[in-house]
Amino acid sequence: MGRPWLRAGLLALMTYLVPLGSAFAHCVVGNRFFPATLNVDDPCVADELSLPTISSFKTGDDPAARELDISGEFSKRITDRFGVSVGSTWSQLRTPGSPTVSGFQNLETAFQYQLLKDATHEFAMMASLDVEWGGTGASSVGADRFTTTTPTLLFGKGFGDLPAEAGWLRAFAVTGGLGYAIPGSSSTTSTDPDTGDPTATQNPRVLQWGGSLQYSMPYLKSAVVDLGLPDVVNRLVPIVEAQFSTPVGNTIDSGTKTTGTVNPGIIYIGDKYQVGVEAIVPINRDSGGNIGVIGQVHLYLDDIFPNTIGRPLIDTSAIGKGN
Amino acid sequence: MRSLIIALAAMLALTAPAGAHAFLDHAEPPVGSAMQKAPPQLSLWFSEDLEPAFSGATVTDAQGHAVNAGKAQIDAHNRRLMHVPLKAVGPGSYRVNWHVLSVDTHRTQGNYNLTVGR
Repeated sequence: MGRPWLRAGLLALMTYLVPLGSAFAHCVVGNRFFPATLNVDDPCVADELSLPTISSFKTGDDPAARELDISGEFSKRITDRFGVSVGSTWSQLRTPGSPTVSGFQNLETAFQYQLLKDATHEFAMMASLDVEWGGTGASSVGADRFTTTTPTLLFGKGFGDLPAEAGWLRAFAVTGGLGYAIPGSSSTTSTDPDTGDPTATQNPRVLQWGGSLQYSMPYLKSAVVDLGLPDVVNRLVPIVEAQFSTPVGNTIDSGTKTTGTVNPGIIYIGDKYQVGVEAIVPINRDSGGNIGVIGQVHLYLDDIFPNTIGRPLIDTSAIGKGN
Repeated sequence: MRSLIIALAAMLALTAPAGAHAFLDHAEPPVGSAMQKAPPQLSLWFSEDLEPAFSGATVTDAQGHAVNAGKAQIDAHNRRLMHVPLKAVGPGSYRVNWHVLSVDTHRTQGNYNLTVGR
């Protein structure tokens, strides 16, 4: 008579004492896992490390420079819903007829809050305040001297809630982001190399938008139909990312032409990491001089270090709650 | 950059073996399959060891009625394997809803469909 009550009591006690560090861990929403995308941020706060991300492409300048970027980004949950990320990029620019220059871009941080995770509809939404700290990078590689702040809204939606008749279409998902980059200074003064006179260039406010269309083979296998494919195939996510920038304010010098790239590629999902590679296809000449490439190794810290740095600093969830 | 990579490698090397999110690896009958006759139980294999007290599954018919013959059980010899006993059900579409807690407290959930009698 007393034992069931004792067991129920112990379970209830565990419910409140054992923290559930990963209720909002890397981007799992119901059946759906949104992998970390290489260009547009995924819609979840998480404990993650992207190291390294390497890209090579020709810039949209005239003459075009060959740019090599090597970057890292560390994301840390403070609570289940609030996280901070810090990223840095080292760049090398090879311009025909000019000496090769290299150095770090400005330090970038993001303060992110998980607005919503709806397991039934595989929908996630996150607000992010991205800050590029002016003057922390090398101006020789184009780092601005002013700080730019970008409020951003990000979302992800899986199509697993389509009717069963939709079949394999249910493995599709989309993610997207919309941000508004606000420079801390409306203009930048520099010295004309020919005349020596000071010149002012207006810094535009820029709409940053983009997203991804992805097809999850892990989802197909575990939630739609197991076709008996090899394990390596069942871990792939073919993806097309796209990111664009459109100057919308203070555009006297910049104009309003949209630049951006479309990036088709593939992501391999491991148990505690993922590896992704994508082509970088510029949408016009101002966006790039040729097709580039980007690759990334991404570590799920919440799975690698579930009891230390992989959990929120302040644990606000418990078993039976959240998600 | 080199010191960062060395630090990362050291962190990974010092990490005690730990679990990850438990995802459904495969099932018997397979996910999304159609069969002539319903089996007496479903077997679900996960990618990580499970906490039995916080892991379970239900099977419902097209009207949303449960057709489990009892509670889902974690296999006594394989903590990645869950057994779900079924009632003797007729032809129709059925949905398997699972929720699990891996041993390192990651919680995941999911569902898939099965068809009987086609």
